[in-house]
Amino acid sequence: MPGKTPDKEPVENGGYRGGKDIDMTDKDLKPKGKKSIKDGDDEMTVVVPPSKSSKHSSAPPPNDADGDVAMDDSDKADDGAVKVDPVVQTINDIKSNFALLDRAVTLFDARFSLRALRSISSIRKRLTPDILAQAISETFSANSTSSHIAKGLLLAIGKADVSLGRQPGPEMEVDSEPKAKNGAKKEVKETIPEIDVFLGILTQVLLYDTKQTQRGFEFSSHLASRVQSLNRRTLDSLSAKVYYYLSLFAEQLAPLPPSPQSPIVSIRPTLLAALRTAVLRKDIDTQASVIVLLLRNYLLTSHIAQADLLVSHTQFPENAANNQVARFLYYLGRTRAIQLRYTEAHEHLTAATRKAPSSACALGFSQTATKLLMVVELLMGDIPDRATFRQPTMEAALQPYFLLVQAVRVGNLEDFELIIADHADTFKRDGTYTLILRLRQNVIKTGIRMMSLSYSRISLRDICIRLHLGSEESAEYIVAKAIRDGVIEATLDRERGFMKSKEVGDVYATREPGEAFHDRIRACLALHDESVKAMRFPMNQHRLELKNAQEAREREREMAKEIQEGDLDEDDLGGEFEGM
Amino acid sequence: MAERQLNQVLTQLKSTSTTLSYTDASALLSKAKLLLLQLNALTPNPTTPPSLLALARDTYELGALCSIRAKNPDAFTRYVSQLTPFYELPASVVPPNPSERSKVTGLYLLLLLTQGRYAEFHSELEALSTTTAGVDVENDRYLGYPIRLERWLMEGSYDRVWKAMKKGEVPCEEYGVFSDILTFQIRSEIASSSERAYPSLPLSSTKSLLFLESEGAVVDFARSRGWIIKDGTIYFPSANAAQEGEEAEQEKETSQMIIENTLGYARQLETIV
Repeated sequence: MPGKTPDKEPVENGGYRGGKDIDMTDKDLKPKGKKSIKDGDDEMTVVVPPSKSSKHSSAPPPNDADGDVAMDDSDKADDGAVKVDPVVQTINDIKSNFALLDRAVTLFDARFSLRALRSISSIRKRLTPDILAQAISETFSANSTSSHIAKGLLLAIGKADVSLGRQPGPEMEVDSEPKAKNGAKKEVKETIPEIDVFLGILTQVLLYDTKQTQRGFEFSSHLASRVQSLNRRTLDSLSAKVYYYLSLFAEQLAPLPPSPQSPIVSIRPTLLAALRTAVLRKDIDTQASVIVLLLRNYLLTSHIAQADLLVSHTQFPENAANNQVARFLYYLGRTRAIQLRYTEAHEHLTAATRKAPSSACALGFSQTATKLLMVVELLMGDIPDRATFRQPTMEAALQPYFLLVQAVRVGNLEDFELIIADHADTFKRDGTYTLILRLRQNVIKTGIRMMSLSYSRISLRDICIRLHLGSEESAEYIVAKAIRDGVIEATLDRERGFMKSKEVGDVYATREPGEAFHDRIRACLALHDESVKAMRFPMNQHRLELKNAQEAREREREMAKEIQEGDLDEDDLGGEFEGM
Repeated sequence: MAERQLNQVLTQLKSTSTTLSYTDASALLSKAKLLLLQLNALTPNPTTPPSLLALARDTYELGALCSIRAKNPDAFTRYVSQLTPFYELPASVVPPNPSERSKVTGLYLLLLLTQGRYAEFHSELEALSTTTAGVDVENDRYLGYPIRLERWLMEGSYDRVWKAMKKGEVPCEEYGVFSDILTFQIRSEIASSSERAYPSLPLSSTKSLLFLESEGAVVDFARSRGWIIKDGTIYFPSANAAQEGEEAEQEKETSQMIIENTLGYARQLETIV
């Protein structure tokens, strides 16, 4: 998707505070997350909606189950022949989603509204105020009860003068000439709230893309309160989006987040109220996305204690969309890392990086999560895998971390401090600076371990010089602590001032290999269990099978009867078996 | 009216803060807090006038320092949490008082450190590095002190901690309150690492190792930890005897565990196939 590539420069992605990377994950992660809701067979084909052309060439239209929903593709195909005006095309695209939303309401199936939401990313690139205004004006009739909503939408995109409805209402006749020429059919019936919320989301997207943050924030607040007042289950997935953009706008308003006066603090009550409602209504989409938003919100202002409380008092929905799970795990991992609970942090962050989409579209998220994961690994005393740094998409962004890992691995305190000083800004932007400062002791420990491995006996003075420690006394205390913490196997001789390493035992004689083996087996089994749980089966399929089974049983019974009656000879029986 | 009274109480507190006994000070403080309650300024509201906000903040800061001097950590923690909303107010509403703020926050960090609440210590630190933009946290006189102490404690440079606690290094007298706790803490840390690191230690050098005053104190300390003193040398009770028995136990446990695990795998595989 050429339109998004500029966003993906590592520079932009560096800080998760930039909002950009998270936004990116949204655009394309979202559809991916939803794949789990679709039927099993097209799960593999729609990893991410790629650009139109590639979709055409490589994957079959994913929505073939319902032919009419795949209009994105079929319309495009028509395009080649007829050369439809892109404006008209876009409006048609927008409108085609209304049919989906309509169906979602009548069939009470969230899949259709998710499908509509997914098309936003393709519409987004072509969206202009004019197009949106036109779509709105064609959707709402002027004298319907919801016309004030439409007016609000138009006002938000600065097109308040566009008339509503193609139907010339008595008071609208004087208005300017109709902008569209294709306004063939009129929407006479009342528009459902889903459609106006959908148009509201499009408005949010438009305002966000055109950087009208202040206006977007105000509009989003209105929209959020409206969504809250409507109690419709079919709105659930849409409202999740509304809150998402609300908090995105709030983040971009001055004063920017780290300051405690940022508007993001003021939207917390709204989000918390939304969370409460979502939990009560068992609205998983909103619940998941609002929890993630709140966590992000707290972490942006460094309210770690609050974030921790939120996590401990809420339960993240188990079957939330994949992308939300990934984000939740990332924020959780971050919180845990700050609280020195490295093992948990490591677990969460590993899961987050694995759940992040492997394609290039959510690169920002993967990069940020990987950076944090590396620092946590270092803090735990592990050295990250070198292959991670070689991935072409990560290489540039991870360069400072690569140097850092090298310094820690060698145990060179001088190099380590130099790198921190050199890249302090990068680390601060990534939010890993304070964590990296904690690494100092690990560097020292590694240094001591190297020393203990290379020498069977070394004087404290030499240790002090090589590790650039302040004094011999310091060195003595540090080595003693390292011995107690089990970093090295050695003894100290105080009178003569040296460290004597003990013989290293055979690792394979201990229970460690067995434990490592057990861990791996357990991970594999857990993976298997999870994949079994993640499988989806079409509704009512089991009934069909039951029916088949019933029929088979009946046949068997008949056959048994026939055998009993002696009508059936052996040949017939064999044939039956082959048929089965 | 109440505001003027409050002002009076505060000036009295400020001028005599070092000489006042804790009971007197706390009496004055509760009077101040009552006045604040009357003025409806106990917690910051959008409607509270800025002058009152500043007064309320000063009251809590004085209270925090008082309770530290009286070695009352609970009261101190309470004051700190009451102060938090005031510190989040924009500078345009309440003119900030950075030195007092860093003093109180630094003391709070030190308290967390001595109580071993490292998770909270680091959470607080993280918040500091983002909210106090423009202030170099590490080089701040008050804030840098607990941060450095934590780093030294973590890496094990106990001699530096010891030096930092001496007179003249401590940023202000309130910080000295924690010295005793810290000394005790590092001494037990050193003792537990010595038990593992040295086969034996001469009595004379243990004195300097543990920062103790005299050899008599060393003997007392060694007794309290159950060390054996023989011919002017300290021997640490070897855990070997106990270890051997344990090892046999462990061996048994290991084989039991392996059997258990393997059975578990078999069962799981059964369900898969």
